Amino acid sequence: MQNNTKKFNFFLMILICSYFNYKAISNESDNNQFAQINSGTNHYLQFGIGGSGSLLRDYATSPLFYDGIGLNTHTAWLRRSDERERLFEIGFAGIGYQARIPENQLIQPYSTAVLGQFNLRYLQLWKIKKWSNDLYNVKVGGALQTTQNIRTNFDLGNAGFGIENISNLMASGQVTRDISRTKSKELDLWFFKPILKPVKRDIRFQMNLGILNLNYRPGYAYVYDSEIIGIETDILSWIFANYKWSLNGYRINTELEYITYLPNGNARSWSYIWDIANAPGKYETFQMASHQIRYTYYFHTKKS
Amino acid sequence: MKKILLFICFVFTLSACENLFFEKDLATTEPLENFDFLWNEVDKKYSYFELKNINWNEIKNKYRPMLSQNSTDEELFEVLASMLNELRDDHTNLASPFNISFYNIMLKNPKNYNQRTIDEYYTKNVWHTGAFSHDFLNDNNIGYIRYGSFMYDFSDSQLDFILKRYINTKGLIIDMRENGGGSVFNVPQILSRFTQTKTLVGYSITRNGPKHNDFSKRESFYVTPYSGLKYLKPVIILIDRGSYSATTFFALATKALPNITLMGDTTGGGGGLPNGGILPNGWRYRFSVSQLLDINGDNYAEDGVPPDIQAEFDWSDITKDEIIESAILEINK
Repeated sequence: MQNNTKKFNFFLMILICSYFNYKAISNESDNNQFAQINSGTNHYLQFGIGGSGSLLRDYATSPLFYDGIGLNTHTAWLRRSDERERLFEIGFAGIGYQARIPENQLIQPYSTAVLGQFNLRYLQLWKIKKWSNDLYNVKVGGALQTTQNIRTNFDLGNAGFGIENISNLMASGQVTRDISRTKSKELDLWFFKPILKPVKRDIRFQMNLGILNLNYRPGYAYVYDSEIIGIETDILSWIFANYKWSLNGYRINTELEYITYLPNGNARSWSYIWDIANAPGKYETFQMASHQIRYTYYFHTKKS
Repeated sequence: MKKILLFICFVFTLSACENLFFEKDLATTEPLENFDFLWNEVDKKYSYFELKNINWNEIKNKYRPMLSQNSTDEELFEVLASMLNELRDDHTNLASPFNISFYNIMLKNPKNYNQRTIDEYYTKNVWHTGAFSHDFLNDNNIGYIRYGSFMYDFSDSQLDFILKRYINTKGLIIDMRENGGGSVFNVPQILSRFTQTKTLVGYSITRNGPKHNDFSKRESFYVTPYSGLKYLKPVIILIDRGSYSATTFFALATKALPNITLMGDTTGGGGGLPNGGILPNGWRYRFSVSQLLDINGDNYAEDGVPPDIQAEFDWSDITKDEIIESAILEINK
């Protein structure tokens, strides 16, 4: 897996670097947008789509890691000013997994799983003036994040459904570096000499660290014979009858985002998001981690 | 730009290190590690050690020395399967890509069901409604319904149709011989047609701790009456050693319903709900993690629910099903 991760990260780097180069050549803007974007509070509606590589392990059913590839989407409402930032995000991911099984002598076994993942996140950040200047804007604050997994793995029979929730109160920090091109610049590419106009750009790094880490995990035996009340049995309460909330584990996520603002106030960005969670629960641990490359379009909806 | 790229490299390098945060990968084909993993899982969660008087430590001492680091996959499978079969439980299996282990309680007992006999000599005008096959017997005085597997779901409308067809009969025979089980939720759906009152029919308890007698509180199992068409005349359920899992559940529940009689042979058992898991080498396993109890709190159902009236199939004459014949006599009493 280490080799696979290295290859994946190398591929992501190539992708991001190519995009940086492409944007450097093709962006057009004018100086007026700088002032507009830097002043007041900007309201954005975000839509994003991404691809992810991830892994998970649920000790309650297997000691094996499962490696997955998925598609992620999200929408978010963002209020951003120089002083403060608020975000409410809803996301969904669909991920297919395959167990990392060592080579057997006879016939190689395999096991697959499918995960539907719902994410909700509310984030609020405030500027730390002492650490900020014209180029850097440092904000700190907190985030509430909840992730609901719905997993299926038919190889596990009655334990084939995994329906854990991981909810976290997180401490958040964000550094934004203004990397705008403020003057026109001519590129010398032999016969081709394009003029690059000024453009407002930011690079932003955010880290969220779980302070209170809650998880909702199955009981001791994972599967459970709950109460059956004839034909009136509520299947959901039957499934969740022995689930328990626990306050343990950890969660960390980071986001590195490259944002380019457009003359009409909209923006677009490429991000790399890393998320890792460890949920020991009351009995057996669930672990997951993901690396996501995401494209986001910001619709500028209001200025106040 | 260089600084930014360096920063990106730093973040990628840092964040690719799940191995720093998670424990090491436990995947392995090493035979002894797989043996220990499976033995421990069963030790932690299997539900019938005490009822079956199994000393699990002795089982480990018996089978572990049969393996070494150099054991082949086939040898490992044989040892693990033999160890699991000591549990005498058909809800316990090991599945590799080249073989699946079964205890197979049905083959260890006499066979009491012959589909051909019924098709040829009893249900000559059989109807198939969803998961059920059915016909009139005994000059249209008795309804015969075959339900071959609880794996097959059915609708209320289908049950309505069948019960309406036989509503004027003197009694029903429901044949669940060699019904190996399936969804437990189909059990109350059928039984709801044979009672007028909400009835407690059993309990279940599930392993909830490392000791072999660590169990959760009792969870009740009620049968509730269906709001529409019901059949309240005598019903005879045919069972045998092939009636397993959800069918054992069904048979146990009928003990609390006075208009239902069990006939045939003791069921195969399988009162425990099986879990599911995967070994470090990728092979799959399952075993029972709960116990089924009758309304008095007894857990005998794992060894089978006995019939109210014993009857056996006579294989010297396959033109006749003695168990169906006994059921007809019982209804006509």
